[in-house]
Amino acid sequence: MKIEIAEHKGVKVFGLSGDIDMYSSPALRKELMSLVREKVPMIFIDFRNVSYIDSSGIATLVEGLKGMMDHGGKLKLLGIPERIAGIFSFSKLDKVFDICVGLDDAFEG
Amino acid sequence: MPSDPRYLCVVREVTAKMWQLHGLGEEMVEQIRLAVDEACANVIKYAYRGDTEKRIVVRYKVSRGRFEVVIEDSGIKADARVIAGRKLEDVRPGGLGIHFIARCFDVFEFDGRKKNGNRLRLIKYLKERNEDRDSRT
Repeated sequence: MKIEIAEHKGVKVFGLSGDIDMYSSPALRKELMSLVREKVPMIFIDFRNVSYIDSSGIATLVEGLKGMMDHGGKLKLLGIPERIAGIFSFSKLDKVFDICVGLDDAFEG
Repeated sequence: MPSDPRYLCVVREVTAKMWQLHGLGEEMVEQIRLAVDEACANVIKYAYRGDTEKRIVVRYKVSRGRFEVVIEDSGIKADARVIAGRKLEDVRPGGLGIHFIARCFDVFEFDGRKKNGNRLRLIKYLKERNEDRDSRT
């Protein structure tokens, strides 16, 4: 997994690519929670190039979401590919996360 | 495979290929791949407590009507009575892996005959194949 962090219109955007699993999710957790602790108002996570996610990756996202909610911030997930979208719906997290099609959609919501 | 999380990607790919090589449905590939990955990750996390120097043995048995995956370790015995995922409605980190395994395998059981370590048997019955076979007889 690769993590590229960029800023778009003042919002930090995590561009992820590859597999998010037990091996790679600690790196994501480190970067994400570091930003959460800074109490930024909004974080976008771009999934368009993510090929796989397991429960450790999901747990990292849930932890990040809860951390953001603690200070009134927002965490949005963008461009979740169809092949992994089922994991979010099965685990009922599609109702918990703000899931957007792309950047434009995320800024509008 | 070594009990190192970096090798989980290998197990995922082999699992998916085994499924595909036997002409089994594409729609289940993602679920089966995830389930076997979660089972191996649980071995690393709970049976070996993160020790990356151990071994995990993964065997596949494909026969008419069933796809079976057997995962063995020599770590701490799992207590099947207390293994349970969190309620899906209870949104918090962790507790999903068991659900990902249970949703796609028809049999999810530990072999109590193994004295040291664990032997997890996962079986997926191939209903469409059974129906095809039944219709021919």
